[in-house]
Amino acid sequence: MAVKQKVNIVAVVDVIGALSDGTLGNGNLCLIDDGPYDSRGQGTPQLETVVAPGQTVQWTALAVDLQTPVEIKSITFVGQDDDTSHRGNGAAHRPHESAQQQHPGQRPQSRRSSGSSQGLAQDRDNGDVAHQANGHKETYENLELAVWSGVVPYHLTPGTPLKYRLELQMYEGPRSTLTVESAALVATTPQQ
Amino acid sequence: MPQQLAIIVLVDVGNALEAKSLEDNTYLFDNMKLQGSENEGTGKLVTAINGSYWSDGSQASEQVLNWLPYSLGSLPPTVPRGYEVERARQTDQKALADLEALVNRPAGQGADPSADLAQIQRSVGTRVKSNRRNRGPAAAKILDLTGKVVPADSSAAHSYPAPVITDIYGEAVDEKIIYPAEYGSPDLVTDGWYWSATVDTSRPGTYAYTMKIQLHKLVESGTEALWEPVNLTCESWLRITSEPKRNGFTGAGLGLLPLS
Repeated sequence: MAVKQKVNIVAVVDVIGALSDGTLGNGNLCLIDDGPYDSRGQGTPQLETVVAPGQTVQWTALAVDLQTPVEIKSITFVGQDDDTSHRGNGAAHRPHESAQQQHPGQRPQSRRSSGSSQGLAQDRDNGDVAHQANGHKETYENLELAVWSGVVPYHLTPGTPLKYRLELQMYEGPRSTLTVESAALVATTPQQ
Repeated sequence: MPQQLAIIVLVDVGNALEAKSLEDNTYLFDNMKLQGSENEGTGKLVTAINGSYWSDGSQASEQVLNWLPYSLGSLPPTVPRGYEVERARQTDQKALADLEALVNRPAGQGADPSADLAQIQRSVGTRVKSNRRNRGPAAAKILDLTGKVVPADSSAAHSYPAPVITDIYGEAVDEKIIYPAEYGSPDLVTDGWYWSATVDTSRPGTYAYTMKIQLHKLVESGTEALWEPVNLTCESWLRITSEPKRNGFTGAGLGLLPLS
């Protein structure tokens, strides 16, 4: 039987609930996938998606209220980031580039930086990013341009959940980014 | 799927009617300030629409615009649908009760009955005739912003019917950048109708469009009061940009998941 080549993982976010509660818990995040295997935790932030090597996995964020903004800011597999302890103080994931003087609406060029920041602008800065008179950052990265997809490599240990950190951005500001590390990919056991 | 874009058209109805112009009496807002919209809260809003395309050049996301007119100087649109009719009925009932009390009052008591009658007449308020020919607002009494009836002889401020967008046209439509149309909606806050458009983001640039907005002015025609429609226009702009999609992990094309 041919294996389904693509698995979609959709993060459905109640943006108003998440920003009000300050958490993606409390039912503010539902993760679901359409994989061909028996994934566990469908509809919860603890989704374990069973995948086969060679399959393409694609993550998408979807707002419950379509007039609220939500985008995936980064997906980081836990373990690939050497030091997870300083998450949240802004130092670890600050973009490598300095803030650029830009006109609103004119976005930075697509870029990729090394390390764990995935080349995406971070909003936890403590003031070293230039702001316009209206309080908005002068740099604006259109996170909607990113397609979060990748091919499952062949060296995964079957049956062992590989957790990933999903970072979601809802508008901007110091409390606009929320993260969960409870979801995982699990490589399927080879058929006997 | 991208966020839906909303443009709020807030009209100072009283001043716009007086000036016979929406200029300086319209305040436009959208939910795209972060994405680069400019002049929020003024009549010169430039809405940023950031599109995207795939490596083969095809459009990667569809942007949807919704226009919502609101009024400065009207009863809030969130009051129940029958509010104005209900208020009219309540004032009629109160006037009948007052009249009954006046009739049943023993002779010689109280003040001059004609003064009381005049007071009752004032408390009944003014009914506006339905203007079927112009399909104006339904017949109801003139209310102020607190829901009280406005007496016929009063010059006190009254609530205006909410502004209505009747057309969207101009450069952005002629150039086939937006495809606007009016749609039915279950949301009665918008009176069951709203204007919406999809956007072709394949041709970046700044495009103007014009909204035709109908306001209603209270006029006296003989002994009757009528809501007379007044059509005015208001211009705004869309700034379309488009950028290529890229992979979030690699910054370029599809690759292996960065597991370690």
